[in-house]
Amino acid sequence: MKEYILQVNNLHKYFSDQEVLKGIHLDVTKGEIISIIGSSGSGKSTLLRCINFLEQPTQGDIIYRGVNYVEHQNDLIHLRKNVAMVFQSFNLFNNLSVIDNLTIAPVKVLHKDKTTSREKALEMLDLVGMREFAHKNTKLLSGGQKQRVAIARSLMMDPEIILFDEPTSALDPEMVGEVLDVMKNLAETGITMLIVTHEMQFAREISDRVIFMHEGIVHEEGSPEDIFINPKETRTRDFLKRVIKEKD
Amino acid sequence: MMNKLVKTILTFVVAFAIILTIGQNETVLASTIETDSTEILDAYDNIRFYSSYNYQTLTEDRLNQLIVDFYVPASYGDVTITWELDSTYLSLSNHSEIISVQSTTGLVDIEVYPVTILQVPSILHGDETFELVGHFTYLDESATTSYFGTLVPVIPDTFYGGVLYTFIRYIKLFLEGAALTLGISLVGTVIGFFLALLIVSGKTLTISDSESKSVRIIKQIIQKLASFYIVLFRGTPMIVQASFFWYGLGLFGDALACGLFVVSLNTAAYIAEIIRGGINSIDHGQTEAAKSLGMNKFQTMRYVIFPQAIKNSMPAIGNEFVINIKDTAVLSVIGIFELFNQTRKIAGMHYRQLEAYFVVAIIYLFLTYTVTSILKQVEKRMDLPLKELPSSN
Repeated sequence: MKEYILQVNNLHKYFSDQEVLKGIHLDVTKGEIISIIGSSGSGKSTLLRCINFLEQPTQGDIIYRGVNYVEHQNDLIHLRKNVAMVFQSFNLFNNLSVIDNLTIAPVKVLHKDKTTSREKALEMLDLVGMREFAHKNTKLLSGGQKQRVAIARSLMMDPEIILFDEPTSALDPEMVGEVLDVMKNLAETGITMLIVTHEMQFAREISDRVIFMHEGIVHEEGSPEDIFINPKETRTRDFLKRVIKEKD
Repeated sequence: MMNKLVKTILTFVVAFAIILTIGQNETVLASTIETDSTEILDAYDNIRFYSSYNYQTLTEDRLNQLIVDFYVPASYGDVTITWELDSTYLSLSNHSEIISVQSTTGLVDIEVYPVTILQVPSILHGDETFELVGHFTYLDESATTSYFGTLVPVIPDTFYGGVLYTFIRYIKLFLEGAALTLGISLVGTVIGFFLALLIVSGKTLTISDSESKSVRIIKQIIQKLASFYIVLFRGTPMIVQASFFWYGLGLFGDALACGLFVVSLNTAAYIAEIIRGGINSIDHGQTEAAKSLGMNKFQTMRYVIFPQAIKNSMPAIGNEFVINIKDTAVLSVIGIFELFNQTRKIAGMHYRQLEAYFVVAIIYLFLTYTVTSILKQVEKRMDLPLKELPSSN
């Protein structure tokens, strides 16, 4: 019996009348790297945002380490401290320098010591190759650099899981590589990652498991080989054909 | 860029200093006399100067604002008085004449020497001070005293002359008014800003289902109150607000305090809306990022949203200051002598409205333009979006 750190049970999400998620089941073990693929509108991002309660699930359970946070929403801080999020549009705090972007949450939310937080922030920036930018204004960074800082920021709370919501979709093509490299390094540290992505090659290389979503349900899931080489479902095949054609 | 800012401020300060020195009135010396003779002392105490206009008595004060010919007495009782006057602007006649002046006992004939104005000093020359020396003689006793007076320029009939006259002659009054106007506007805007922070905090309270019912009701009341405040103060003219608090409620003993109160309250409503707009314009991603890092609503507001909203609102808040420089003119209605009210006073002195209001228009323009320029420099340095000279609320 595997031990699951995160379980999503029968998750439904409506936006007014429209059902975006139609009963999602997802079990995540520690250290697992899961890529979620699918065409836009399939509910991949919504799934990720529901896990972090940026969207309120309409129905279902989000269980992290035995606690169902749908029923314990007053403890969301505990969930969010352990389940970090990296956004498509980076969402660095515009009013803060690079290093303050990293230290604000540990200092203000966890009430950690400022000096140790700064030391830790510098370590994290080192990890993403942004240490020399520590005292820069975030405005001066390129998209790729911003996303690397955002990843470093998400690491500051020592999360067990990181949710990546299309982390490279807003980037110029030449900057995608630097972000993916950082994510690859991160994957090797044993951290659990859920990645919504359109980078199929990357998903194939990095993932332990790939999930193909279509119209609000998990249509097919399996190892990267299962999905990318021998997809069972026609929809999966069609999707991959389309995506890979676009790439060429 | 820093240089330019410093230069602008320096120019402003130097101009201010020059104007202040021009406007400085010379202090007038009072006359004294030293003698043991009671007759001479009595004469000294009782002699009068007489204006050529209806032979009215000229007090020593009026001698300081001289604009007409006048007469000095040749004697008082048995004391004879001879006069000396050394001035290119005034001439003292050697020949005495007799005039009839009104006194408590009816018309009295008095022997006097006429003093005629040879030329009126120009406004550029300014006041002409003269010394009138009087030699009092009674039998073999004599004493000397000096009276000091000033011959003042007369307002020219031409428009430009009138403008120049009004500006130079009353610069001190204008400056007092301008200082008050700037002071009320600045302090009002600053206080208004802090009030606005409170109002906006009230108005943007988020109510979630997880809170208890009483908390939700209290929050809703606060929200409604904040909205009502904004509607009330933006929806009524400041002149009405000022009159309401000063004449209506009469809560204040001091008009200035009342004026400051009204400007602060009024500005707070406008700035609250500015900041609320600033908050709404912040990308939702900022809030989401804060949430995902475990920040609660207060922390998100305090550390992420508010700082950005306020920074973005700074140019518009600066505009409120400039608008206040103009709009505080309505405080004249409750008797505060800010720039506009001072001008009304000045306009009434010579009944030359056109010149007075022309001058004050230039002064207002100078104030708003200078403040706008300084704010623009500050905004540039702070890397904020720029705004043009604002129109009134």
